Amino acid sequence: MTQHVSPPRDGTGKTAPVAQPPSWRGVLARADVRTLSLLGVLAALILIGGITKPDEFLDTRNLQLVLTQASVIGVVTVGMTFVITSGGIDLSVGAIVALASVWATTVATQEYGFAGILFTAVLVGVGCGLVNGLLIAYGAMVPFIATLAMLASARGLALQITDGRTQIVTISSVLDLGERDAYVLGVPPLVMVFAVVTIIGWLVLNRTTFGRRTVAVGGNAEAARLAGIDVRRQRLYLYLLSGLCCGIAAFLLIILSGSGQNTNGNLYELDAIAAAIIGGTLLTGGRGTITGSVLGVLIFTTITNIFALNNLQSDVQQIAKGAIIVAAVLVQRRTASTT
Amino acid sequence: MAPDSPLLSMSGITKSFPGVRALDGVDLDVQAGEVHCLLGQNGAGKSTLIKVLAGAHQPDTGTIHWRGEPVTLRSPIAAMRLGIATIYQELDLVEHLSVAENVHLGHEPTAVGFVVRGKAARASTAALLRRLGHPEIDPAHLVGELSAAQQQIVSMARALSHDVRLIVMDEPSAALDPDEVDNLFRIVGDLTAEGVAVVYISHRLEEIRRIGDRVTVLKDGRAVAGGLPAKSTPTREVVALMTGRNVEYVFPERAGSASTNGGKPLLEVQGLTRQGEFEPLDLSLHPGEIVGLAGLVGSGRSEILETIYGARKPTAGQVLVDGRALKPGSVRAAVRAGLGLAPEERKAQALLMLESVTRNVSVSSMSRFSRGGWIDRGAERGAARAATRELSLRPDNPSVPVRTLSGGNQQKAVLARWLLRGCRVLLLDEPTRGVDVGARAELYAVVRRLADEGLAVLLVSSEVPEVLGLADRVLVLREGRVVHTAPAHELDEHRVLDLVMEGSPAS
Amino acid sequence: MPEPTAFTNRFTSRRGLLFGTAAVSAGALLAGCTSNDSSDDEAAANDQTAAEDKPGKQVTIGFAGPQADHGWLNAINDNAKSRAKKYSDVTLEITEGSNDTAAQIGQIETLINKKVDVLVVLPADGKALTQVGLKAMRAGIPVVNLDRIFNTPQAYRCWIGGDNYGMGLNAGHYIGEKLKGKSNARVIELAGLDNLELTKQRTQGFDDALKNYPNVKKVARQAAEFTVESGQAKMAQLLQAQPNFDALWNHDDDQGVGALRAIEQAGRNDFLMVGGAGALSAFQAIKQDNGVLKATVLYPPTMAASAIDLARSLGQTKGVSGLAEYEIPASITLYSAVVDKDNVDQYMSTGFK
Repeated sequence: MTQHVSPPRDGTGKTAPVAQPPSWRGVLARADVRTLSLLGVLAALILIGGITKPDEFLDTRNLQLVLTQASVIGVVTVGMTFVITSGGIDLSVGAIVALASVWATTVATQEYGFAGILFTAVLVGVGCGLVNGLLIAYGAMVPFIATLAMLASARGLALQITDGRTQIVTISSVLDLGERDAYVLGVPPLVMVFAVVTIIGWLVLNRTTFGRRTVAVGGNAEAARLAGIDVRRQRLYLYLLSGLCCGIAAFLLIILSGSGQNTNGNLYELDAIAAAIIGGTLLTGGRGTITGSVLGVLIFTTITNIFALNNLQSDVQQIAKGAIIVAAVLVQRRTASTT
Repeated sequence: MAPDSPLLSMSGITKSFPGVRALDGVDLDVQAGEVHCLLGQNGAGKSTLIKVLAGAHQPDTGTIHWRGEPVTLRSPIAAMRLGIATIYQELDLVEHLSVAENVHLGHEPTAVGFVVRGKAARASTAALLRRLGHPEIDPAHLVGELSAAQQQIVSMARALSHDVRLIVMDEPSAALDPDEVDNLFRIVGDLTAEGVAVVYISHRLEEIRRIGDRVTVLKDGRAVAGGLPAKSTPTREVVALMTGRNVEYVFPERAGSASTNGGKPLLEVQGLTRQGEFEPLDLSLHPGEIVGLAGLVGSGRSEILETIYGARKPTAGQVLVDGRALKPGSVRAAVRAGLGLAPEERKAQALLMLESVTRNVSVSSMSRFSRGGWIDRGAERGAARAATRELSLRPDNPSVPVRTLSGGNQQKAVLARWLLRGCRVLLLDEPTRGVDVGARAELYAVVRRLADEGLAVLLVSSEVPEVLGLADRVLVLREGRVVHTAPAHELDEHRVLDLVMEGSPAS
Repeated sequence: MPEPTAFTNRFTSRRGLLFGTAAVSAGALLAGCTSNDSSDDEAAANDQTAAEDKPGKQVTIGFAGPQADHGWLNAINDNAKSRAKKYSDVTLEITEGSNDTAAQIGQIETLINKKVDVLVVLPADGKALTQVGLKAMRAGIPVVNLDRIFNTPQAYRCWIGGDNYGMGLNAGHYIGEKLKGKSNARVIELAGLDNLELTKQRTQGFDDALKNYPNVKKVARQAAEFTVESGQAKMAQLLQAQPNFDALWNHDDDQGVGALRAIEQAGRNDFLMVGGAGALSAFQAIKQDNGVLKATVLYPPTMAASAIDLARSLGQTKGVSGLAEYEIPASITLYSAVVDKDNVDQYMSTGFK
């Protein structure tokens, strides 16, 4: 056989050893690189903010402000991350936030005080999620269409409830949670809720069977089904979860804005999807990262903050925001592929 | 073109991807009118090489000469313009377009530059299909409604619709029945007679013997042998080149003690039917027994397995495990009762390609390592490692992504999943598809050992020697009906082939 | 004062419609009377005496407006309805509000076919509905174009609407006068949705007014989206960016709810705030006078009531009393009055929720 075998290559100097399949260290490093690149983007933004507006940007109050503003959309994004990881999409998050916030702030609801508002907001969120979930899991509807329908209906219902009017919250125990006096060791209650939701979300996605099933359904729904996972029930739970997050977010928004309005949650769906994707969650499903999503939200909120502090106008803000999204994704991809 | 220069000459081709050097200085010469076979295990670099040839990948270094002239294949279109056509294993047809539209995709016959002349396209497509021996395919038919074999023909018609001098075929016979394969070989013969060169990739050595002129063997991104005579090189030598070691293509010995008469059956199938797919089926399976289902593509083999498993809902009949009927059409009920399926399409139906081996193995047994939904990852890793070690899965590191594994080891990961689950009835659908020769024997041994340990195995394979070599008892299927049942040792390959083709009763 | 066309909005966004405020003083022009009898009616700004109390010829008025998804638009509908109710000689044919241009065209065509005497149209999109306005005019039905103007004067008999530039101008003058004598006074602006022409007009008016006060400088401007949520978010950032300033103009009282919430959360009260549009909540806050909000500039929804008056007069071929003209004017731009503590009681009933 020797006469047929090509001699070992020489001269070209290209006799590099055969590449090993990536070791687990490599995999870990790659995941880390993705997160690190997001942290890098965030650090660069902080640098820009610190240079352009050192007094206003590098200030405890500003940190509290940025985190507070990130809380509402952040909670929504955690739910969205689960849905996208499972290969789905939830376009109705903004509308659910709107509906939950107006339902929870009607005169009738407010008669039941703090608990009435909280309970209603969460219940409306979960209820909408349940409808989404049933339509998608058991009605075999495409998530895009089912949640688009929910978007339209929930916004319509919110409008019907308010008649376009702003519903002012008069319950002081709710309003007080948005005031400085309620901060615990300098941490606003909204930010605490955001942190708790993030931590729970991370644990559920990474450490529980629920999280594993979510990833499995998103990675390969047919394989998950044949492996004995109840794919439909899992999908139902996922949209319920997203609805729950919307309900919590609606409550936070009520605290923050002291009111309920049918225009609340405008374009949350796009912000949440964008944050999740920038964070490294695959739009096609099968991979999700809560850490990345939260970093994505913080990047967006920080950009908005820096722009506002520098008094840049909406047109410039929008152009720059688009450019930064592209840059963040490119940087991430580059760093992820060169290691 | 110099008279003695080859049609295509690639030399010193290297190509790296992040973390992987896929090609490491490969040479390949192809003469006009020859069938040049490319052999190699999964991951040896065959796919990358043909993608370079098709212009889909740009090599990092190396040169390509086409008819003696140096060329750069910047894009698939550039390669096509030179006359290089590629038929990929995963067919790249647009399901919602017609046959003619697919064949002419990207180079539609047009009037005034942009108006597609549909009639002309259909006429030329019909001519191509006749040349390929398939005049029955209607050029106006939607591709999505064709069978896999017919789609293959369409793919080939598309390649031939260009002025082609070299055709690359990536495992063209994988989805074909024996007579389809014969037709394929006839087409290849016609093409080479016209002076067209064919680069033919296959796992099946016997095919290479039949139609190949020369063989190039790839291993780990290098050409370990170039231009071997296809007909005369001993199998042992080829296998040795591919695997780097000498392998006997052997089946494990049957334990013999696996008596089918004594004891109660573990799995019973009673009158199981799916309208239009297979007729009422009766079957019983005892612990320690391997039963094979032999039949052609389309004979209902996979459908039977999937129906037993609950992935398809039967129109009649039932499946019993330990005498208890399973809820029909429920995978979860089947899994809970101890069934496990290793499906035909591993990547599409079994594996979570982005995930680690551990997670792929543990996915069906998560409740074992979790309390209140909380996963004990240490226990999970340990159990997965134990299961993969038991099957000698390589590499011995269940943290690697499952996509980096070879076909054989991916199959082992699927088996490990069911081993860990404590499954008692294993349903294997084409367990060695995409698994290279060297790894097959090992997989056979694993299956036999599992049976000896008390599992019942139901095996489906289109490779008759595999069914005969591995199974204790064989059911021969033809058009959704069992036409013969016999102990494996009473059958031989010819007999089975006669039965699946003719369906004549045994006695 | 510029021609109406110069500063009327043709926004397509339904959110675009929110705002507005202006003057009941239009009532003076039309009715020659602004006496305020107390009203039982919510958000109904119809307390002014009806234009002609003596019943005349029966007039059927067709009214088509956009979907009332905002307090101001709700008030438009309420104003039109209750105004029509005051006249025994007016029948109002009101359509279901729609933001869909095609649907609104269909509704108006139905009204044309019903042969109403006069049409009052607040288009979802002025430009897109021009053709149907022309059609009505050609059919001999006079059209009163409300607020969002058609492309061509041929499409309407009379246009009546608010003055966005005037809002900014009056807000600027009010703030300028309040800060007179204060050297290096700093002013910030919380604008509405920047995509809309009307926002630019309001800002332009504001900037032009501030030019008269050399001691006043606008130091920051951020655009919100006419929603409570965006008002809170943008105001919070502005407050962080500007540790001290003297006055704030907020384009819209609805987003002002959010802005006030942010001001409260930041614990700031060291400046004066002027709102825009004329929401009831703003009027109440001005009256109580215990916060930063001291005034608001109007974009009055009473324009719908005036439009009904104009339509009735057109139907009865009368002129406007109080003017020497025989004919109804071709266009009427309302005045964006400033409402502060001194005159808030007069406007309280026009405030919308």
